[in-house]
Amino acid sequence: MQTLLVDDDPTVIFLVKRLFDYEGLPDALTTFLSPVEALAFLQQQVPAGALPQVILLDLNMPLLNGWEFVEALKPLEEMLRGQCLLYILTSSLAPTDARRAEDNPLVTGLLHKPLGRQQIQAIRARVQGQGVA
Amino acid sequence: MATTAPLAANEIRFRSLFENTPEIILYQNADSIIQDANPAFLALVGEAKENVVGRSYNDFLPPEVHQLFADKLREAFTGHMVRFDMYAGQGRSAPRHWDVVKVPLWEQGRVVGVHMVARDITDRTRTQEELFAQNQDLQQFTYIVSHNLRAPLANAIGLVDLLSTEEPDSPYFAETRDHLQQNLRQLDQVLQDMNTILTIRDRQDLARPEDVTLAELLAQVIYNLQDMLDQCGGTVQVEVPAGLLVRGNRAYLYSIFFNLLSNAIKYRAEGRPLRVVVAATGTPEQAKTITVADNGSGFDLEQAGDKVFKLYKRFHPHHPGRGLGLYLVKSHIDSMGGHIEVQSQVDAGTRFTLVLP
Repeated sequence: MQTLLVDDDPTVIFLVKRLFDYEGLPDALTTFLSPVEALAFLQQQVPAGALPQVILLDLNMPLLNGWEFVEALKPLEEMLRGQCLLYILTSSLAPTDARRAEDNPLVTGLLHKPLGRQQIQAIRARVQGQGVA
Repeated sequence: MATTAPLAANEIRFRSLFENTPEIILYQNADSIIQDANPAFLALVGEAKENVVGRSYNDFLPPEVHQLFADKLREAFTGHMVRFDMYAGQGRSAPRHWDVVKVPLWEQGRVVGVHMVARDITDRTRTQEELFAQNQDLQQFTYIVSHNLRAPLANAIGLVDLLSTEEPDSPYFAETRDHLQQNLRQLDQVLQDMNTILTIRDRQDLARPEDVTLAELLAQVIYNLQDMLDQCGGTVQVEVPAGLLVRGNRAYLYSIFFNLLSNAIKYRAEGRPLRVVVAATGTPEQAKTITVADNGSGFDLEQAGDKVFKLYKRFHPHHPGRGLGLYLVKSHIDSMGGHIEVQSQVDAGTRFTLVLP
């Protein structure tokens, strides 16, 4: 389950990495502290067909917040659809964020921090069930 | 059969209203000449009646509203009642918010004059503005709770779960504990920030302005930052006239320049020694314009947009910072009736321009 994690908080990177270790997926995670660099990475990878199966995206980040990040992915929408599950991973409990996640066709769902092993297992089941390559 | 009160009784009733109402009432002709003015108006402008009647109402209004009043008076003379809000001083009185009504007086099928009734709505307007600002604060507070307060808390929950599965002697255990410690500190820091901000808001009305010698204040700020400046080889050049006074709260002014200069140090460019120039112009009667310009790393102003002075917004991805400093700077300046602007260019520098009373 190739996963891209974008979060400016080193603790979240550490936590998610550790959870992936526990799930037996130590090599499945690519992480970015900078949303700008993550976006550049995707813009290069996706057209080349090397896209992650899962993206975990934080909302509250400097320079480029999560929603702006999703907006910037719009041109790649066709290539991402059905190939990549994009989850917002946020500490926000604001209903407006939940609604925005629901309304955005690029966003698969919204996960509240902290991420837990069960959530990773659920995502994994979904990736396998959908046969996301 | 209907009876009408004798004219004299009516006259007494309307005179009493005219004389005693707190609203200001004027009777004007088409050339804006005051034909009659009630005691409330005379008290406001501080003139005797004989110095008011026969003069143009414009004599008591600042030039910037002359056109507005001319237009509205003309409209009233076409036979329509007009109503509008304005903010202006009258005579020598301080500027106030007014709800103005102009009522045409008809005689034999034509408008012969216009009564103006103006009600002071300053308190109401201020209350509305305060309410609006407080609503915005509340929205901002919701955002802070869900992001800045909950983020370290959610991390702590996740880390504690992790701790229970790690071997106590493993390096992962120690690393998890370090993260936990950091996040709890961060949580505490956010709460302290909230406390700082709320305290400032509480005190805003009490901030008694005084005349502060800008050059002395800057010397004090620079003295307290000297260690940090020495460490990075930075210099601050002050080009401020020796006796220049700024009217405001001394603690706020200190905080403003302390924050701006420590930001300049924090976000200096790697490749060159930091140079900051603080310059000021202004006279005792004029507002003072103060610039704080550095040759630091700068930031993308277009990307930052209107968020520069917002709480917990940060613009330097590779530097730590909580996004509190510039928020405080702007809060302080706003509370002293000034304003601040920023220009910045990536890898060239940042320039703040402050206008203070």
